[in-house]
Amino acid sequence: MTQPASPARPVTEKSPPADGAPSPWRSLLARVDVRTLSLLGVLAVLVVIGGVTEPDAFLDTDNLQLILTQASVIGVVTVGMTFVIISGGIDLSVGAIVALASVWATTVATQEYGFAGILFTAVVVGLGCGLVNGLLIAYGGMVPFIATLAMLASGRGLALEITDGKTQMVTVDGVLKLGERDSYVLGIPPLVLVLAAVTVVGWLLLNRTTFGRRSVAVGGNAEAARLAGIDVRRQRLYLYLLSGLCCGIAAFLLIILSGSGQNTNGNLYELDAIAAAIIGGTLLSGGRGTITGSVLGVLIFTTITNIFALNNLETAVQQIAKGAIIVAAVLVQRRTATA
Amino acid sequence: MAPEPPLLTMSGITKSFPGVRALDGVDLHVQAGEVHCLLGQNGAGKSTLIKVLAGAHQPDGGTIAWRGDKVTLRSPIAAMRLGIATIYQELDLVEGLSVAENVFLGHEPTTAGFMVRGRAARTATGALLKRLGHGEIDPARLVGDLSAAQQQIVSMARALSHEVRLIVMDEPSAALDPDEVDNLFRIVADLTADGVAVVHISHRLEEIRRIGDRVTVLKDGRAVAVGLPADSTPTREVIALMTGRNVEYVFPERAEPAATPSGAGPSDAGPSGAGPSGAGLSGAGLSGAGPADVAPPVQPVPPVLAVQGLARDGEFEPLDLELRPGEIVGLAGLVGSGRSEILETIFGARKPTRGRVSLDGRVLRPGSVRAAVRAGIGLAPEERKAQALLMLESVTRNVSVSSLSRFSYGGWVDRGKELRAAREATRELSLRPDNPAVPVRTLSGGNQQKAVLARWLLRGCRVLLLDEPTRGVDVGARAELYTVIRRLADEGLAVLLVSSEVPEVLGLADRVLVLREGRVVHTAPARDLDEHRVLDLVLASAKDGPDGPDLIEGPRGPATTEGGPAS
Amino acid sequence: MPEFTSRRGLLFGAAAVSAGAVLTGCTSNESKDEGDTSGDNKQAVADDKPGKRVTIGFAGPQADHGWLNAINDQAKSRAKKYQDVTLEATEGSNDTAAQIGQVETLINKKVDVLVILPADGKALTQVGLKAMKAGIPVVNLDRIFASAQAYRCWIGGDNYGMGLNAGRYIGEKLKDKKNAKVVELAGLDNLELTKQRTKGFDDALKNYANIEKVARQAAEFTVESGQSKMSQLLQAQKGFDALWNHDDDQGVGALRAIEQAGRDDFMMVGGAGALSAFQEIKQDRGVLKATVLYPPTMAASAIDLARALGQGKGVSGMAEFEIPASLTLYSAVVDKDNVDQYMSTGFK
Repeated sequence: MTQPASPARPVTEKSPPADGAPSPWRSLLARVDVRTLSLLGVLAVLVVIGGVTEPDAFLDTDNLQLILTQASVIGVVTVGMTFVIISGGIDLSVGAIVALASVWATTVATQEYGFAGILFTAVVVGLGCGLVNGLLIAYGGMVPFIATLAMLASGRGLALEITDGKTQMVTVDGVLKLGERDSYVLGIPPLVLVLAAVTVVGWLLLNRTTFGRRSVAVGGNAEAARLAGIDVRRQRLYLYLLSGLCCGIAAFLLIILSGSGQNTNGNLYELDAIAAAIIGGTLLSGGRGTITGSVLGVLIFTTITNIFALNNLETAVQQIAKGAIIVAAVLVQRRTATA
Repeated sequence: MAPEPPLLTMSGITKSFPGVRALDGVDLHVQAGEVHCLLGQNGAGKSTLIKVLAGAHQPDGGTIAWRGDKVTLRSPIAAMRLGIATIYQELDLVEGLSVAENVFLGHEPTTAGFMVRGRAARTATGALLKRLGHGEIDPARLVGDLSAAQQQIVSMARALSHEVRLIVMDEPSAALDPDEVDNLFRIVADLTADGVAVVHISHRLEEIRRIGDRVTVLKDGRAVAVGLPADSTPTREVIALMTGRNVEYVFPERAEPAATPSGAGPSDAGPSGAGPSGAGLSGAGLSGAGPADVAPPVQPVPPVLAVQGLARDGEFEPLDLELRPGEIVGLAGLVGSGRSEILETIFGARKPTRGRVSLDGRVLRPGSVRAAVRAGIGLAPEERKAQALLMLESVTRNVSVSSLSRFSYGGWVDRGKELRAAREATRELSLRPDNPAVPVRTLSGGNQQKAVLARWLLRGCRVLLLDEPTRGVDVGARAELYTVIRRLADEGLAVLLVSSEVPEVLGLADRVLVLREGRVVHTAPARDLDEHRVLDLVLASAKDGPDGPDLIEGPRGPATTEGGPAS
Repeated sequence: MPEFTSRRGLLFGAAAVSAGAVLTGCTSNESKDEGDTSGDNKQAVADDKPGKRVTIGFAGPQADHGWLNAINDQAKSRAKKYQDVTLEATEGSNDTAAQIGQVETLINKKVDVLVILPADGKALTQVGLKAMKAGIPVVNLDRIFASAQAYRCWIGGDNYGMGLNAGRYIGEKLKDKKNAKVVELAGLDNLELTKQRTKGFDDALKNYANIEKVARQAAEFTVESGQSKMSQLLQAQKGFDALWNHDDDQGVGALRAIEQAGRDDFMMVGGAGALSAFQEIKQDRGVLKATVLYPPTMAASAIDLARALGQGKGVSGMAEFEIPASLTLYSAVVDKDNVDQYMSTGFK
């Protein structure tokens, strides 16, 4: 009946101010909690490592733009994933949805409709997949793991079917140009702007809207949420739709970035997004998580990859180090959270 | 006492959980070869005591001696090694394993230390089952395919598969039909003849007469009687021991039932409460049932909630019930009598097999919590942590979760407004600490319950369903909770209360429905009932006649339930 | 590049050995045979004329990549060309167990010859042996079985030679440049073929003392990974002279990254032979100057070999009566000068 007591439940919330009305400053301080600080700390350490090992290549504007650009696609996916995990679910199909949306949006037929056609198709395909996931899970009673695993398989299959294994080059100039230097706004690549916008919207959605409240409630205690009068099923449907939408946007970003659509796109995004969310402090069991944490998690991963590449490390070493860093980050956070 | 030391001597065992002192210096002495019955109401500490005995809980204080030697039961394995086997009420079998695999789980007969000798296990299991009179159970079958009674037998076989000197059985007869109970008692007799001791926990007093040798009675975490002879102690004495209270609960004075013409309106309960008076409550959320609705002096108030023929197969039989504003109706009954199921079905959390629930004459969609909540019903469920609270969240968010649309504009939550409303609602209930920003998990049980109540207050609900509202609430906080509940009723809320604590039902409710095995066996105004009478009804002892109360003497019911405002 | 041509003469090259034409398989789907088909008139040599009916079983991996897709296309269209050939092609699978099952089904169907491109060469050795024991000759395509007994004939690309030729091409281009820097964008690093390509590349560069390989990162044969890894490489290496990219598919992403970084200060050599790469080379606008072939036409050749085996014939252009046990294809370098010749073999 009661859940087995986990040895150390990650507890992040700082003890709130003792008096009744927290001042804006104090509530801001309370929000930037131990976990966020520790993530910023990790990022700072990485910046130092990067700066020391490759002072020329690492510490310049180009590289900052590069890291943020590389983070944008997976970052958008992770924001959606964070919502799903907070609600106690999981979405294993994000990579497949990105692949499917990116190839569907880059078929010859779609490209005839130009920029709008590509964007529209990517978003609609993402939403469509999210809708199927959501219906299967919320109303079909399927376990999220299984439903999204099925979507992963069939999404990848459909993407392969559409492309026949071929790379679909984008010929729409408007799309291609967004990935190039001329389109930078005040030195910020458009892709990064999209990530920033999605992050801000995600943060507001989670922290300032009824949707966010309900997502947390469903993940924290679905039974309590149900008995509190929340339509748990509809909420779940919305959450997977949101994840699908994020995948659609990410697919569009990936099309811009790579100038093409390929069925191998989004490879292992599901694992990267889950890892980033977990590192960012989202409980895999649901009920707690932050958008800032997840996006910081993505930035940490992207920065690590960047430092590795700049230092010309072998793939094997990169993979080992990445695994070690995941474990270390989670352990450190647990320490700081329980201390 | 015999010169030989008793098999088991537990002395002065104490055990506390956050907010609850579950055991407060309990003694238990068990002799080899006896059936020792452990009695007590729900929450008296029986389960905690046997978990200490099984090594599942570590006591905070006290000593345990086993055959004269002091021992520490560090783990269930340690207890098992001594020869203490426990059969829990909730069966702890692995459904996906076979009978034999379950019986020998953790001590499989092996070759070379790791190769399980399956045939040996099956043969031994077959022998055990035969000894238990159930040779027909195939040791190779999956436990999940067995009936509840057969699973009980498997549990028993598992206990006997160890070198056992003491078997603890927690309500073993609950899942069995009469024939199987007879068989069980025959087994118990065989065991005790072999010198094995049995600690037997049961609610059924007649069973204790049949097989018990001695009785220990627990009450509020204390042993109020140790080692009484089972056959010669009068029933009424046992009941008196079980119910006699060393803490007098203070119940607020009840308003007269709204249905009767003599309704007194908002009573003098207000001044008795510590918190501010209820006058400001309507602002916080009782908009649907303003003070104007409360008990007009002469005419009967129409019921706010009407339940007609509501039933769920296998859980409870058709039930009719009307609740009026200002009225508290109590459901008394044992765990498993269908109390919680009734509340949850009214609330739409379970879909009824038949019957309907209406609020103000409008029939609610069956099996829809949202319909119930929209109509104005609120539930404070039995398992607060599992069913009501978002433990990782603040009090504010726990309180506001059912009323988010009130603080939001197009999905946008006005957090200032939310915080103010939550503070108002929690202050109304004197929730401590007076800071709704704290995480709800840091609150005491009583204050967590208030957070749940505040949620429904804020929602403006008109019917409140309370399932064991004081479970896990310490004694001091209970009185305050009672005052709050009474005041809410006085302000026009209709309350349906479920509690295993009979005094609570009698002290708080205007009208009481006594439930046994899913059926209402008695309905009466609370003032016409007393604790013994109710216990008698729920325990279904032989004295089930209308004149039952006469057979039991003791302090009159009102004596324990009255007390009035602490003025 | 005299040594190139001499080598070409020795090896059974996809396009270079044009004499037999039937076997060369350089032709694409449209298969406009080059003019000099008439060459041989030896007896018992397979040719276009219908002969004994042959059923060829074909088991390949899942075509989730341009090159693999081209393999399937090549095999199928080649088989269609012959009236006397029936092709039993399985659904491609990347799952070893599934592929074993598919091959066993083909054995049970008693096809005359098997062409197998294994998902994993070692893992499918047993089923290859089984087919051979059942009297079905096996043409092992590209990924080689662990035992020579498991196939009658192996035909495949030369990963080491691919690296070698890429290194030589770049070496020759840069041999007069002092302190030349070279960067390598490898493919999926956990594949042996990637290691072989890198080894060949490194060995070739050893001949040029003035050239140093300054960086190597591995992508994953996907556009996305190519873009990502290349952009990091460009950030790490602000100035270098040449880049070898193992795979034209990931090269699409690499080119995109180069374009985005606005770099054009180096030459790039690709790998495999995608149509998009050929077009880029022909247009000669960007950094991509050449690509080293890993010709998917080998699948067409495998069908030819299988047909010849089924009909009990040899191949033209060789003195021997028997079909060779092993054929390693030449990894030719395609640049602006000869790209037109290869354009039709480029895969999408």
